[in-house]
Amino acid sequence: MTSEFKEIFQQRHQRCRQFKDRGGKIVACFYGLVPKELIHAAGIMPVQLIEERNPEYDERSRLLPYLCGMSKNLAGQVYGDIYDYVDGVMVATVCDTNRHLFDIWQHRKVFPRLWLVRAPSTATELAVSYYAKELRRLAGELEALSGKGVTEEALRRSIAVFNENRALFRRFYEVRPSSGISAEESLYVFGAALVMPVEEHNAMMKRLLDSLPAPASHDGSVPLMISAINLNMALDVVKMAGRYGARVVTDDFIHNSRYGSDPIEDLSDPFEAVARGYLRKVPAPGIYSFEQRASYIRATMERSGARGLIYVVQQYCDAFAMEYGILKERLDAWAIPHLKIEAEDTPASIEQLNVRVQSFVESLM
Amino acid sequence: MAEAERLEEKPDLKTMLKKLSAGASYRRMLAAKEEGRPICVAAAAVPIEIMYAMGVYPVYPESLAAIAAGISKAGEFFDEARDRSFSSSICSYTRCGLGIAWTSKSAFGPIPEPDLFMTDVSLCCLHVTWWAYLEDHFKKPTFYVDMPATDDPWDPDYLAYYEEQLREMVRFIEDNTRCRFSMERLKEAVHHSDMAGLYWKQILELRKGKPSPCSFRSLAGEILPLVTALGEKDAADFYYALFKTYEEAAQAGKTPAKGGERFRLIWNGIPIWHHLQVITYFEEKGANFVWEPYTALSWGNKTASGRLNAEEPFRTLAEKYTNVLTNMPIERRFDYFDRAIRDYDVDGLVMFSNRSCRPQSIGQDEVVEMVRERHGLPILIFEGDQADAEGFNMQEARTRIDGFIEILEARKR
Repeated sequence: MTSEFKEIFQQRHQRCRQFKDRGGKIVACFYGLVPKELIHAAGIMPVQLIEERNPEYDERSRLLPYLCGMSKNLAGQVYGDIYDYVDGVMVATVCDTNRHLFDIWQHRKVFPRLWLVRAPSTATELAVSYYAKELRRLAGELEALSGKGVTEEALRRSIAVFNENRALFRRFYEVRPSSGISAEESLYVFGAALVMPVEEHNAMMKRLLDSLPAPASHDGSVPLMISAINLNMALDVVKMAGRYGARVVTDDFIHNSRYGSDPIEDLSDPFEAVARGYLRKVPAPGIYSFEQRASYIRATMERSGARGLIYVVQQYCDAFAMEYGILKERLDAWAIPHLKIEAEDTPASIEQLNVRVQSFVESLM
Repeated sequence: MAEAERLEEKPDLKTMLKKLSAGASYRRMLAAKEEGRPICVAAAAVPIEIMYAMGVYPVYPESLAAIAAGISKAGEFFDEARDRSFSSSICSYTRCGLGIAWTSKSAFGPIPEPDLFMTDVSLCCLHVTWWAYLEDHFKKPTFYVDMPATDDPWDPDYLAYYEEQLREMVRFIEDNTRCRFSMERLKEAVHHSDMAGLYWKQILELRKGKPSPCSFRSLAGEILPLVTALGEKDAADFYYALFKTYEEAAQAGKTPAKGGERFRLIWNGIPIWHHLQVITYFEEKGANFVWEPYTALSWGNKTASGRLNAEEPFRTLAEKYTNVLTNMPIERRFDYFDRAIRDYDVDGLVMFSNRSCRPQSIGQDEVVEMVRERHGLPILIFEGDQADAEGFNMQEARTRIDGFIEILEARKR
């Protein structure tokens, strides 16, 4: 069953092109703070821009050497027409690089439509009210693309379907540590959610949860949590940890964190509900309260039984790099073993971390 | 007519400098603490006029970081950040500024315990996390003046949102200190700020003349009160005295360029605080910087009219502080360069690709392309860091500048 998720993830571009050929509209999200409910309510499929390991993309990006590899990679893919099926891109700020990449894409006119989500970084009543208005503005832009009005009723339905997806993920994460699903398989279950219609993902998730494989024998392997922004890097580290006797039982992939683990409330004004659901409610680094972010990681580890955390920083990622100092302070205070590794998204760069990962795993045995 | 009255009397520049220099700001902070005034650690784009109007004394970690870097005293603050697991890829202002806060020290001496914290979330995303660290460390009231990322800072809803937050800022100060708001005092502070900004603009206008009487190196220091003292009469007096001094220099045909001003240049980016001698080296070669977005567009009266309206202080401050260059589309940023190249009769540009400042560096290459296409001017790009000297090689910089000057010379022949 999990192979279906993997196939969908790996064939995401072909599938999106087919979707487009059938008359569908697609808006890409850069990154996970884009309010997908809004796009969905306009009858458009939101898909996430996802990193794909290929050094050519980084070179093609023409971005400064000291900017994060994720942005370079995505820019390179965009300039290589990998996302030629996209009708527009919505950029929501998670860091200065992603926010200002918008400027370059706007200048180079690389997408038919490009919107910057003017999302507040606070969650005061004033901010909520401003953001709800901003969401209505964006709804108007999306309506113009799809020809389908983003009514309150449509948005309510979209909130419900995404909330269902979040609930299914919560269940999935609850049962995952004791199931026979590997970390690699889990990555694809999650990754597929970023690139396919949410209703279909919900249906697949339900089937998966009804037919979870029996738990495998873990032979005393060390359960770990992984926190990472880059899925390729995460996958390499997961495999590396596995080689040394650990198994990753839960994760904090940033797309997922930013997508939000808590449901969006059902309020009389659904635009306000989306605003409240996204403003400082999403447990991601850089824009989330330290206390809540650290507590979220601790709670996730406790729930899954993870005994250690591997915190993967992609070089020049400000959000992760900035957060680590305080996270380390908290994790040390709570006596939670953790390993911070910083690397580029290349096999050679990751492989250099070999000894450190091995030592970390061994220290927990 | 307040301007006319002021023009009759020129304050003494040296006296004013003694009041507003970096060292003086430090002593004033100590005095403010002694007097029981609340000390607020503020980000550079938090409306200072409101703080002065309410009797709050602001301290700016970015300025303190720049000053520490400028006098080679930033090392221990970077070390502190490193000890706390901060990667050197993080902005040097942030690392140095946090080091200053954590050690409760500045380049001038110990810093008293702050009472409040306020940040803008406009200039960069790190301002959120940076102040979150401060909030976490000091456990003191912290206010976030939010300015969402936008490509349309002129949108009325956007302005209204920001303006309303300024009223919330007033309530925040009143809720957390004994300071009370007075509209009259705010109007007065905005008036002083307006006058300071006006004279600053007039100083920059003098640079259109040939030769320009100003050195960018001096201006980089003289800009400090525009960051730290706006809203005080002293700041307005200082800039008036400074304007008159530069005006006299312009009339006398003085220029910092050795042997006369042979080349007129634009500098893009924050000054390299740890190696300001880079600017001097240009001047020694007869090249003078005559326009910089840093001096012309980042501080002072940034409203569309170039003036602040003291009668509508919240609205005018909203217009001023939301007018952030990096929140504008690249074409709009280029327009400023395009106009400056013509108005200041520029021969070439120096683009500082600043590892620390993503907002200022991303999009710079696109501006370079547009300048080359429209004006065909020589452009020197060099990479470095605004406050962290690690990896910077002055000899290498000299070699590159020499090469650039040769290109400029060849074009003049």
